[in-house]
Amino acid sequence: MNETKMLVFGAVLGALYIVTGLLQVLGPVIGPVPGTDLLYLTGDLFVGFVLLVIGAVFAVGARNLSRDVGEGAIFISVGILLSVLFGLVSLLALCATGLDVFLLGEGAEWSVADSIDPLLYLAVIGAVGFLAWGRETLRGLTSS
Amino acid sequence: MTREIRIALTGNPNVGKTTLFNALTGSRQHVGNWPGVTVEKKTGRVRRNSYEIEVVDLPGTYSLTAYSADEIIARDFLLDEKPDVVVQVVDATNLERNLYLTTQLSELQVPVVIALNMADMAEAQGDAIDLARLSAFLEIPIVRTVGTRGDGIGDLLDAAIREVKTSPHHEHTIGYGDDVEATIAMLADALSADTDLTGRYPLRWLAVKLLEGDESVLDKVRGGPALARVERILSSIDSDEYEAMMADKRYEAISAILPQVRKANVRSMSPSDMVDRVVTDRYLGIPIFLALMWGTFQLTFTAAAPFMTMIEAAVGWLVEFVAGSIEPAWLASFLGDGIIGGVGAVIVFLPNIFILFLILAFLEGSGYLARAAFIMDRPLYALGLPGKAFIPMLVGFGCNVPAIMATRSIEGEKDRLLTILVNPFMSCSARLPVYILLAGTFFPEQAGSVVFFLYVLGIAVAIASAKLFRSTILPGEVSPFVMEMPPYRIPTAITSPRHMWSRGSMYIRKAGSIILIGVLAVWALASFPLGVDYGSAGSFAGMIGHLLEPLVAPLGFDWKVAVALIFGFIAKEIVVGSLGVLYGTGEETLSSALLADPGLSAAAALALMVFVLLYTPCVAAIGVIRQETGSWKWAGFSVAYGLVVAWILAFVVGHLAGFFIGGA
Repeated sequence: MNETKMLVFGAVLGALYIVTGLLQVLGPVIGPVPGTDLLYLTGDLFVGFVLLVIGAVFAVGARNLSRDVGEGAIFISVGILLSVLFGLVSLLALCATGLDVFLLGEGAEWSVADSIDPLLYLAVIGAVGFLAWGRETLRGLTSS
Repeated sequence: MTREIRIALTGNPNVGKTTLFNALTGSRQHVGNWPGVTVEKKTGRVRRNSYEIEVVDLPGTYSLTAYSADEIIARDFLLDEKPDVVVQVVDATNLERNLYLTTQLSELQVPVVIALNMADMAEAQGDAIDLARLSAFLEIPIVRTVGTRGDGIGDLLDAAIREVKTSPHHEHTIGYGDDVEATIAMLADALSADTDLTGRYPLRWLAVKLLEGDESVLDKVRGGPALARVERILSSIDSDEYEAMMADKRYEAISAILPQVRKANVRSMSPSDMVDRVVTDRYLGIPIFLALMWGTFQLTFTAAAPFMTMIEAAVGWLVEFVAGSIEPAWLASFLGDGIIGGVGAVIVFLPNIFILFLILAFLEGSGYLARAAFIMDRPLYALGLPGKAFIPMLVGFGCNVPAIMATRSIEGEKDRLLTILVNPFMSCSARLPVYILLAGTFFPEQAGSVVFFLYVLGIAVAIASAKLFRSTILPGEVSPFVMEMPPYRIPTAITSPRHMWSRGSMYIRKAGSIILIGVLAVWALASFPLGVDYGSAGSFAGMIGHLLEPLVAPLGFDWKVAVALIFGFIAKEIVVGSLGVLYGTGEETLSSALLADPGLSAAAALALMVFVLLYTPCVAAIGVIRQETGSWKWAGFSVAYGLVVAWILAFVVGHLAGFFIGGA
């Protein structure tokens, strides 16, 4: 039962990362895709690359779990850790920009939405997975 | 009557050999160097019954193949010094790997005693090892030891003494199969014609090493009567294939013995093993590593922004205060334009440097960087670099000086020289201020990605250069890479900041010494001869710059950039400080001044970043290249090659960027 939940979680989040990553990478080439305004795509190729990498880790995990081969669960657990880690990177960047703007009076035109990218909001879903499965992996990892 | 005997202590790295050496010899130790090399030699003495025993601690080694200095030292000592007995320290928790060295010691036909160390840990894991049975299989006495508690020390000394008295010694060789054995026999027969060799080395061992393509052994044969026949035999075989076959046979022999002597507790994969399955995955490992590197530079750029703004504001205020309150004007210029403007332009990047070092310290402390070295081994090997080159290359992101010194861990002189020569292309932290200034000024929206691109470009140039050198001036085989993965751990709140401080404080010391001197020199050149406008074409700086301008004009740089690049030779940070001085601004307005300069386009700024990334190493790095290669020739080559590569790539990147974004 737990593995089924993990499989569904990994497959859904993997698909979200991959689709968002593809849109992020292809956006500058094919132009804005209608209906993607709310995805906060930045057009940065490297952000797209990171999204695709995390998506691939989830996808491999979901595939292995569905076929009962390899260590599918651990791929999903590591995907969750990567999701949360890059979400934190994105959050720190947002906070630093906010600090720069509001405390030091620079860039009055800036709003929080300007610094949101897919790594940040997808990590919120990753954090749900972290609460369910990631903490165990992290605890085991640091005590081994 | 007291009798003297000598014991050589050998074993794989990290098997508790030093602990056992200390337990054996106590305080009766002497530390020196092995002749001709900078590898530490430790000897100690212990008395047991009527024996005065000298214990020599050999360098840790996985095999006795002459790949590294450590292996050669250990092997030459065993062959040439002929100790009375060799004690091999074996890690009981990792018998497979440790017994590989045992098979090689057996071939050397030296008297061996095994100290089965860390036996308590193996037992705690649930492993049960039948010592008597293992000893019977190997025909080698085995003593259970726990070095940390001193358990088994007396028994070990007794076993060593007994082995000295035993005559003849046990001989136990691996059978390599009919074809290989026939070739071994032919070689041994050929070698028997060389009486000098037959008196000093076991013929079978010499033959085995020759089949493995051991150059060091071939050197021993050269000049002797057996050479022609030996070369004829060797020319008919593929030594790589033979080496692999013989290694397989050794492991086969070990695999045949172990199930009969050990009941191993079958453990499920540890969390560390499981995570390694993902981060060292054949396909995902490198993308994950690149993603983490991107995250590192993204944070380095963005998280430092508010701190940079604060320092900029402080420096700007100070420059204004000095300009408005100090007389005479030359003194105000000296303090404001020279010291505060120049050094201030450099220290504004302190937050970036500290954040970069903090993240690298965290990655290192967590154990991830060892995994990164492992996953990079395959591509590096394919491109002619040893896997061990990765760590010095990564250290090069901080500073090329310790990075070049870190190449000492690389086996093989050519591998090491190759790694030294390509290391300056790894973008050190001194270059970061130049990127941050120019990327932040000309590419504000993509600054983090531009900086990441430059780091990747540096790696690509290093790898391409390695491939070029390997196929031209430094041909040869790459040494294999063996390393142990440390367990993952969360770095403590003390260790990572301490690492960050110890590396980052070097930058502060540089700002207060060599950078200060550099920017003062630029200020003096920009201010004299007396009567000229500060930083004008008539100043000494202007004259030097105009003299060099034709060389850099095709890259889109003017004379000010030429002067800054000249001073960047002392330390790369001075490029920014020099620009600050020459534009007559502090860091606060340097960005605006650069943007307002019609002579410096965005494309030229990109070309300048590429040039700074690749051109000559700084003075300190050149000095250490000279020291580590022992030759001014290689130091000079590094400077000349870097300048040529930098000029060509800056030209290409500048013109390509000019084509796409305009303003070449």
